[in-house]
Amino acid sequence: MSHPAIVIIGGGPAGMSAAVAAATQGLACTIVDEGFDLGGQIYRKPTNPARAPAPHPRGENLRAEIARLAQHISVRTGDSAWGIFDGLRIAVTSPDEHTELLQPQAVILAPGAHELVPPFPGWTLPGVMTPGAAQILIKTMGVAPGKRVLVAGTGPFLLAVACQLVDAGVHVVAVLEASSRPAWLSLPLHGFRTPEILAEGLAYLSKLDRAHVPVRYGRIVVTAQGETELNAVEHAPVDAEWFPDNNRIEIEQVDTLLVGYGFVPRVQLAQMAGCNLELRPDVGGWIPVRDRNLATSVGGIFAAGDGAGVAGSLVAAFEGQLAGMTAARFLGAIDEATFTAARYPVEQELARLKPLRRALDKISALQPGLMSLVRDDTLVCRCEEVTWREAREAVCAGSTTYRSLKMTSRAGMGACQGRFCWPFLSRLVAAEAKCSLADIGPPSARPPLGPITLGALASEPRDK
Amino acid sequence: MTSTADVVVIGGGAIGSSVAFALARRGASVTLLDASTPGRATSASAGGLWSLGESLGLGCGVILHTAQKGVGDGPAPLPRTFMDFLWASNLRFPSLAAELRTLCGIDIEAESATGLLYLVYDDEQERHASRIVEWAGSDHGQVERWTPQHVHNREPLITHDLRSAIHFPGDNQVNPMLLTEALKRGACAKGARFIAEARVRAFRCSNGRVVAVESDKGTIACGAVVNAAGAWGAQIARLASIEIPIQPVRGQIICTEALRPGTLRSNLSTRDCYILQKAHGEVIIGSTTEYCDFNTEVRYEDMCSLAAGAIRAVPALRNVTLKRAWAGLRPGTPDELPILGPAAELENFFHATGGFRTGIVAAPLTGEVVAASVLGQTPEFPIEPFLAHRFQFLTA
Ligand SMILES: Cc1cc2nc3c(=O)[nH]c(=O)nc-3n(C[C@H](O)[C@H](O)[C@H](O)COP(=O)(O)OP(=O)(O)OC[C@H]3O[C@@H](n4cnc5c(N)ncnc54)[C@H](O)[C@@H]3O)c2cc1C
Ligand SMILES: Cc1cc2nc3c(=O)[nH]c(=O)nc-3n(C[C@H](O)[C@H](O)[C@H](O)COP(=O)(O)OP(=O)(O)OC[C@H]3O[C@@H](n4cnc5c(N)ncnc54)[C@H](O)[C@@H]3O)c2cc1C
Repeated sequence: MSHPAIVIIGGGPAGMSAAVAAATQGLACTIVDEGFDLGGQIYRKPTNPARAPAPHPRGENLRAEIARLAQHISVRTGDSAWGIFDGLRIAVTSPDEHTELLQPQAVILAPGAHELVPPFPGWTLPGVMTPGAAQILIKTMGVAPGKRVLVAGTGPFLLAVACQLVDAGVHVVAVLEASSRPAWLSLPLHGFRTPEILAEGLAYLSKLDRAHVPVRYGRIVVTAQGETELNAVEHAPVDAEWFPDNNRIEIEQVDTLLVGYGFVPRVQLAQMAGCNLELRPDVGGWIPVRDRNLATSVGGIFAAGDGAGVAGSLVAAFEGQLAGMTAARFLGAIDEATFTAARYPVEQELARLKPLRRALDKISALQPGLMSLVRDDTLVCRCEEVTWREAREAVCAGSTTYRSLKMTSRAGMGACQGRFCWPFLSRLVAAEAKCSLADIGPPSARPPLGPITLGALASEPRDK
Repeated sequence: MTSTADVVVIGGGAIGSSVAFALARRGASVTLLDASTPGRATSASAGGLWSLGESLGLGCGVILHTAQKGVGDGPAPLPRTFMDFLWASNLRFPSLAAELRTLCGIDIEAESATGLLYLVYDDEQERHASRIVEWAGSDHGQVERWTPQHVHNREPLITHDLRSAIHFPGDNQVNPMLLTEALKRGACAKGARFIAEARVRAFRCSNGRVVAVESDKGTIACGAVVNAAGAWGAQIARLASIEIPIQPVRGQIICTEALRPGTLRSNLSTRDCYILQKAHGEVIIGSTTEYCDFNTEVRYEDMCSLAAGAIRAVPALRNVTLKRAWAGLRPGTPDELPILGPAAELENFFHATGGFRTGIVAAPLTGEVVAASVLGQTPEFPIEPFLAHRFQFLTA
């Protein structure tokens, strides 16, 4: 096999749009996505179409474009990119355990984001899951996550998932949004240039209203209860900093709790490649530093979509397009003038989407009260089953960086490499040690990103 | 900010922490300075306490020697004093572990009965192994040849495609990070001060002595300085206009998910790699030995060959999931011995670096002899073979 000019990691809206933009310039692209199909979190096709909601037209359009450019785009779904080595060499392993090193001339990172779940008492009970996981159950398999479901956290994503649950015939007890109602009511002020998105939000709200699903603002879940599985949830009203009023706790009998407090960009490949990172809590935490054209600090590596700062599927698609064009310019497939002319409309669209996005980021910004839910015996690292007491003792003894906390408490030592626990654990550490998140730093990223066996690693590479 | 200390120790790895602990234990006022630098050896290390295996060239040193000398005759053992030094240091682990547990409540996971098995795959290695066993003698426990049957009785997962093995009974393992953390906290419990993120930038000298150390966290007036900056030891020495031949030697390691503890009882070493299971169940497979300046990247090809080497030795590892790969920089010296004790150039400047492949096993005794030497006491192990002086012809 000859090496593609561009490898795109992630086949969501960002990755698909990047491939279309670059392939349109005649460049050979390979999209690597560990999902079973292109589309990413939002446009992935159902495995059981009969029972799943209808596919999204924007996703179908991108799919059609990719098919039209099939001559230039090779799609490797099911394959996982687990390491990036000296420059632009990317290790990819297929489900049949075959490992291969791709050596393109440019790389576009579009790996998306994962959901953010805070630790709180009971959060590891079976029956507590993320809205995204529930969505996958409904969307791809047509399976309901439970009978009585409570949805909690922050952001419009909760409304989208609640609606999908309603459509699937699930009884949604309530949606609890941590931020206050006045904050949300101010949103239209920032969204007049993006009426279609506001309309989508309003449609969610009215659907929930019709289905008698209350949306309760300014409330958070404080504990999940149950012996072997979830049977009740306690929630309480919060102040502006999300500190709960424990005198006004309500109890809800449910078998399923969906908790999501936004998303965290997947920056590990960028980090492994040596791209400079910056801390931007407003868009999900650590992100690669990018220039106007979405080039990272490492030559030949570009980053687009939620993986480079959470901003939603529309921004992801436009960023993907820009990154694809920038890569094409980098490889000499388009000249400067063409590039600048083509960039203009994309930048216009990104600028149009920005005010609403900013306002949303602000409303849903994590507040310190969320960190007050953790008790001594709450697990703060699921992989290694480390409790907050154990982690806090290590912090008090001076372990205030990811590395030293990992060494002394094993928090973050597990297979996820701190991806899931560190966004919150770092906040807990910062509060305890009175230092800043920037001082504490991101968790280090080491290959392999996902699980691969020694056998797969030792397999003779197809390509030398 | 200016403060004072009798002794400033630079570098908070296993070696610097051990020196600080030994000094504090002797009542000196000590300040330990560290900076987080990518590639720090201690946190990269496997934690093997292979006093015999390594000094006989059968640890990961195999890789360096084979690379340098061709596969032919194989490695030449290092000087016997070095083996004695490592052996004496290794013997200190049980009591050190007990002391640190009492002092700061940390279990350094020092194992006592694992032992190191060097696997012999072919005739050439067989001949080499015979010479090694003969040379080792019996001063340091009984180094034994094991038959494949004997190996399988103890380690059923090891390959059957095996000629024999050499068993080094005293070569066990420890958790290097916990060891270092415990030494650091132990030193603080005995009155030392530890300052993190205090990168040393310069020395102030007067009349042939260092009088103060300038760091990112302030200037510290001092009576003596210990250079325990590992692979960065030459850089620290250079700040005092002293040349020592320390070179970073990269080691890459891969680590699996946790397996049931006891899956592998012994530490294993082969021509391709070494393999050991840590207390929590992860299996560590190391390591490369390469000169590549201060580059701390992991290479794909090396990960693959470590995996292949491990599968050759323990075929069942084929189906085990890899968790992580990383690299660290060993403080290497031309003769593979550490650089310890007073510098000739400055009256109160001491080295504690060059731990190379064995800085973890050497840490306890290194701390003792360097502390004694700083305080003008007689070290309990002669320090002469390790003085920087021996390289004069190299640096002159
Ligand atoms: C769980 C979840 C559910 C969401 N649901 C909605 C919703 O209902 N409505 C809405 O408007 N927005 C939703 N969003 C947000 C929306 O999906 C994103 O904003 C958008 O998809 C971002 O596009 P992207 O291309 O940047 O990333 P994604 O769409 O996330 O695509 C990234 C792709 O990269 C792949 N990938 C990542 N790392 C690797 C790797 N190492 N090797 C191989 N492949 C890799 C992933 O499999 C994924 O397919 C959701 C987000 C998440 C995380
Ligand atoms: C992959 C690998 C596996 C190994 N396996 C083993 C093994 O199994 N058994 C064994 O005995 N040995 C092993 N070793 C060797 C052992 O790890 C080292 O010899 C030992 O850790 C050296 O310790 P050190 O304290 O001298 O160096 P380090 O641990 O590197 O500590 C030096 C410290 O100095 C700091 N520093 C640097 N510059 C400055 C400055 N300007 N100011 C302040 N601080 C500074 C550094 O940040 C660092 O923290 C291994 C090494 C590697 C790389």
